[in-house]
Amino acid sequence: MSVEVITGNHAAGYALSAAGEANRTARGVACGIYPITPQTEIVEYVAKFPFSKGRVVPVESEHSAMAVSMGASISGARAFTASSANGLAYMAENVMVAGYYRLPIVMVAVNRTLGPPWNIWADQGDTLALRDFAWLQFYCETNQEVVDTTLLAFRLAEDRRILLPVMLCMDAFIVSHTQSETALPEQADVDRFLPDLDLPHRVRYDEARTLGSLAWPDEGLASRLEIDEAMKRVPAVYNECQSIFKETFGRDPGAAVQTYATEDAEAILVASGTMATTTREVVKKRRAAGEKIGFVKLKMYRPFPADELREACRTASRVAVLDRNYAAGAGGIFWQDTCVAFQGRRDDLVIQNYLTGLCGNDVTPALIDEIITDLGSRSSAGEPVWIGIDTGKEA
Amino acid sequence: MIEIRIHGRGGQGGVTLAKLIATSRFLQGLSVQAFGLYAAERSGAPIQAFCRYSSETITNRNLIYEPDHVIVLDPTLVGPDIAAGLKGGGWILINSPKSPDEFAAQFPRYRVATVDATSIARDNKLGTRSVPIVNTALAGAVGKMLDIPLDEIEAALEHLGFVGGNLAAAGRAYADVQLLGTPSDLTPVEALAATPSASRGHSILDRAGASPPLVKTGQWATEQPHRQQFIPPCNHICPAGNNVQGFLTALAREQTDEALEILLRTTPFPSICGRACPAPCMEACNRIELDGAVNVREMERYAGDHGQVTLEPLAERSERVAIVGSGPAGLTAAYHLARLGYRVSVYESGGEIGGLLRTGIPEFRLPEDIVDKEIDRILALGVNVVTNHRIDRQALFNLARDYDGVLVATGLQEQVGLRLGLDGTAAVVQGIEFLDHVYRDEVRVDGEDVIVIGGGNTAMDAARSALRLGAASVRVVYRRTRDEMPAISEEIDEALEEGVDIEFLTQPIALQDEPSDGIRRHYRLRCVRMELGEPDESGRRSPVEIKDSEFELDCHRVVLALGQSPDISVFPEGTEVREGTQLLGLLEKPVFAIGDLATNEGTVAAAIGSGRRCAVHIHNVLSGEQLNITEHADALRDVDEWRDEVIRADSMKLHLFERQQGARSESLDPSERRSTFDEVHLGLEDASEATRCLSCGVCNECDLCCTYCPEGVLKRVGHRLEFDYSYCKGCGLCVAECPRNVIFMSHL
Amino acid sequence: MVATAQEVQSLDTCLLRPGNTNCGGCGMSTGLTMLGRALDAAGDTCTLVIPACCGIITAGRFPTTSYGVPTIATTFASAAAVASGVASIRDLNGEPGQVICWAGDGGTYDIGFATVSAAAERNENIIYICYDNEIYGNTGGQRSSATPAGARTATTPFGKSEGKKDIMSIMTAHRIPYAATLSIAHPEDFAQKISTALSIEGMRFLLMHSPCPTGWKSEPEESVELVRVATASGLFPVYEVFDGATYRINVRPDGTDPAPYFEKQRRFRDDEIDLDATREASTPSSRLSRTRTLISALFPSCGRHDPQQLP
Repeated sequence: MSVEVITGNHAAGYALSAAGEANRTARGVACGIYPITPQTEIVEYVAKFPFSKGRVVPVESEHSAMAVSMGASISGARAFTASSANGLAYMAENVMVAGYYRLPIVMVAVNRTLGPPWNIWADQGDTLALRDFAWLQFYCETNQEVVDTTLLAFRLAEDRRILLPVMLCMDAFIVSHTQSETALPEQADVDRFLPDLDLPHRVRYDEARTLGSLAWPDEGLASRLEIDEAMKRVPAVYNECQSIFKETFGRDPGAAVQTYATEDAEAILVASGTMATTTREVVKKRRAAGEKIGFVKLKMYRPFPADELREACRTASRVAVLDRNYAAGAGGIFWQDTCVAFQGRRDDLVIQNYLTGLCGNDVTPALIDEIITDLGSRSSAGEPVWIGIDTGKEA
Repeated sequence: MIEIRIHGRGGQGGVTLAKLIATSRFLQGLSVQAFGLYAAERSGAPIQAFCRYSSETITNRNLIYEPDHVIVLDPTLVGPDIAAGLKGGGWILINSPKSPDEFAAQFPRYRVATVDATSIARDNKLGTRSVPIVNTALAGAVGKMLDIPLDEIEAALEHLGFVGGNLAAAGRAYADVQLLGTPSDLTPVEALAATPSASRGHSILDRAGASPPLVKTGQWATEQPHRQQFIPPCNHICPAGNNVQGFLTALAREQTDEALEILLRTTPFPSICGRACPAPCMEACNRIELDGAVNVREMERYAGDHGQVTLEPLAERSERVAIVGSGPAGLTAAYHLARLGYRVSVYESGGEIGGLLRTGIPEFRLPEDIVDKEIDRILALGVNVVTNHRIDRQALFNLARDYDGVLVATGLQEQVGLRLGLDGTAAVVQGIEFLDHVYRDEVRVDGEDVIVIGGGNTAMDAARSALRLGAASVRVVYRRTRDEMPAISEEIDEALEEGVDIEFLTQPIALQDEPSDGIRRHYRLRCVRMELGEPDESGRRSPVEIKDSEFELDCHRVVLALGQSPDISVFPEGTEVREGTQLLGLLEKPVFAIGDLATNEGTVAAAIGSGRRCAVHIHNVLSGEQLNITEHADALRDVDEWRDEVIRADSMKLHLFERQQGARSESLDPSERRSTFDEVHLGLEDASEATRCLSCGVCNECDLCCTYCPEGVLKRVGHRLEFDYSYCKGCGLCVAECPRNVIFMSHL
Repeated sequence: MVATAQEVQSLDTCLLRPGNTNCGGCGMSTGLTMLGRALDAAGDTCTLVIPACCGIITAGRFPTTSYGVPTIATTFASAAAVASGVASIRDLNGEPGQVICWAGDGGTYDIGFATVSAAAERNENIIYICYDNEIYGNTGGQRSSATPAGARTATTPFGKSEGKKDIMSIMTAHRIPYAATLSIAHPEDFAQKISTALSIEGMRFLLMHSPCPTGWKSEPEESVELVRVATASGLFPVYEVFDGATYRINVRPDGTDPAPYFEKQRRFRDDEIDLDATREASTPSSRLSRTRTLISALFPSCGRHDPQQLP
């Protein structure tokens, strides 16, 4: 293991490449790549990597990038790609297909605002727009977490109990382009951590099987249920992978849901991505000052970790859900999932939405303070609160 | 609310029928729904459509599981499935020409109605030939069945723009529909169980999903292909009854021995006919319409000259048959009887075996060693030939008494004469006699001017022989034009090339002695010019003298080649001598005349045919079998329909064949040939000409049908064409692409 | 509703199995059957990559399949890209068999255009066969850029005004190792071209004229004859191009009148077809001169890239 000062993109590129290289003893690795700010460096990294048994195909669009990766995955090779924002949107159709084909593809997505208006800075809306497509989703706050979770993602995705693709999300520029010390594991350890991929439903050249023909409603229904059952197995398998990661690399990649001082908290803030870091720091200070305040970081967003979240908020009477995203006509997306998780179980709980850091606006401790203050003033939840902008009219 | 389910095939208008019924109710103020069940079906596949109508607003958005009535657009869809969920006592309307009684047993709990909507649709020109659109007719039938007045159905049709034939079809169906309104079984039908929940199905991870489809698309077809066979014109017209198509197909496959074997089933003389036959098959050949007839004659020669076949008799029989005359008819009969196992003796009055085969066709057309070879093949079967043995009337009786059967094949012994004066003198010689003398090397015509009268092969042969023997000039005199000359056209060309002159439209009137010049006798033939008038009994236009057009020709010899006639003195007075007619009936043994004696057709091929027919007939009489005369000749294959008709060029798809010029054999140079009796035609070097045979109406296993079948459900297994009817959709491509019309579609 | 192991018949080894739900007389069916035979004859196998089109409906209902070879369904635009991924893994693992895209004109000329162009530009080691029925057949017969001028389709009810996109010129301009047109009326040429394609590495693009009786409103039994008239009249030229530099005309038009081609399809109205212009535009020389012009324009300084005709 070496520790280097690298960007989040470099970290992602490193992890993807190491994972791909690990499959050289099996059917190898291939991917389609396409650049888009701010993930371009990821694909450039893998394009330069000297795979022993792999091919990186620079294609003409993101839609084709996922298509090439799918072709590779369907053929039983390890496959990955990376994209962001409008590239993800262009890729969407094939993202969905990868999910419903249950292909264990890992995609690193740099969370960037969906345009128009054209904007290159951090916003989670791009990956969340794809949340229904049977992909697992993880939101990372540091470069290290990106390396670790990317590697973990392969093991999780390829587990026979799961066999679903994984999206690895990191904030634009704040993670992707920020250099900081990052431990990079040795290839040999990665080889140990990631067994050879043996995809049960790969299409073999000598087997007359059709993947993807027309399915009648009954078959369609059964296939959706099958995916739901796989999703339900994720938390347990994640925990296993987390343990094995620790054993292999001597480092904890982090739980799917990470809590701070929630055991007796009255108020809890829920956040993901880099604003989790900021929020946690503010909560730490407040806690040290005696407030019964806690913090939950949602690392795993799909499947939505409802059980863990409910457990973490057991003692709280109010919860602030910070969304660096906005679903037009509805509000923050993490907030919506949170409300569903508590529906009918904690009708006493105030769950308030704070639209924080949208479109790359910087999330400062002061803003977190604002949120905590607002949360404290509420006896019931209201409309989503827009942080950082004067909404002008009467509420 | 009334719910109706419709079963049809893609393209028949099932969904529109649902809409028509709905519209008729809508126009009466009811709430309606009409829809189809959509999946991946294509044209021809079974589909379902649905219709609801009610006096109250319809809020049911589900499929129809328990219809009140069912309509079936295609009789091939009728099965227990169509009544699934149908409420007891409901109507089943079926598009079928049958009466409802015929379905009552299958559907005892329901009322049944039938109407022949397909015929009505076709009569009103609705839809296409293969997919008539039956929905508008059925709309009329539905009306009657459900007590909806016809004008309400018509209103719906007009509302949707269906006029003209559609209205007529509906009206006729309304009138014609037959209703069987009483179910025989009135026990109530149980309601359907609640919709079962979907089973767990197949996981996408499951590698078992490799099974072939279950859909039997053969049920889509309204027509099915079958194989048929016609009679090719060459086979039909061949006087010998040869399987011309068969031997050509074998040659095309470079199976020379097999080609010869096929020929030998009917003719023992392929090498001979391959040189001397006028080849009516070539005149009938359908390929004339494309780029010229197949050179069948040269191909028969090739098979005869190059094929190797060993013949064995099929059986050993004790019966004995006698044959009088060893000409082509007699020898053919002997050949076939010997192959069938009979003990055959042939009595020949002359000194050589073969008759006119040997003496009547000159060497330059038919070399003697060829004749020998083909006769030897017959002798090798154990046929006994006695030469120099004339059979008179008494001897004939003795033969009939001593043998089990007798065939008389003495040919044409009488020559047709012409009263010219000097008949019977040395001035005039009959053509056949002349050729006989030529054969025996007994003719001297050096320096003579020879005149040959006649237009047939004998005339040409005599003329050309005379030339070769050194005649100073040879002139043929013929009273009609070239077009009417019965001689083989190439022979006429070759004669002209060699220097024979032909005086067409010239009738000889009288032959006169002229004073000798001391070296030889000298004659003058007075002739008159002719022109063509009305046809005579042979169909040829009759020549008519042109007044005052007489002229004279000098000559040293006249050869008369006007034809021959039979000598029937060997039979009792009054005997009718015709092929197939029993002679000497009192003896109760089969005795027949064959060949020119019986038919006077005048060709080797005809003689062969006659000899064979009668040999088979004698065999049938003696053995009690019914050997089919055509059994050897016809290429009987595994066909479903045997068409007893000749296929002509307009039934062939000539545009599917590539043009290819026909082959002609090389010949000796004319200047060279007039001084030698060497064979003029050198023959073809290979049998590639046989690939030009179109195999009209007879499958030659070209496999184009298999190539073009989109489904791959058509395979040839050996000689059998296998159609997998469980999958064949009846698209008709095999029929359309067969160049020789060997596949046809039959309606189901 | 679900097929059980007991219900299925024994597996067939042919590429297109009977029991598929294609329309009777479908040109695509004929093409698949001929392709299967040609692969068999060459002792080669394939994996089919099929985008959304009639070709994937052919497969039928999961879990049965009408394809006797491994088959992957892709999204409409993605066939050539998925095939690139599949071919990459095949090559990395030294496995035998071709990767063959089987796509309609929609997935090739239109929505898949960028994808197929990119695969060609990368010279991917795949065979791409476009069965061109000149419409979006699977959705009921709407126009594509492959629809010829004058044709009535569900979205051009009065006849398409634009002409047919010249996909062969475009693909040959990529200078891929092999580009050729296929005619189902010339089965030997068809088989020969598959054989040629199998012997070449890199991107191979084949364009097959594919009669659609349902969309063209023609008789199913006339499908082959339609192609015969089209090729004999020059409407659909049958030729092959190597490396965008040398070409060979395989079927010489013989002056057959193209009029019957239009008469036999009710998607054309006779009075809207300019037969003279069609005759002129459809001769191989005019088609190939366009190819020549296109290639020459791309390489003005390289005289070598003026296409050379092979015997």
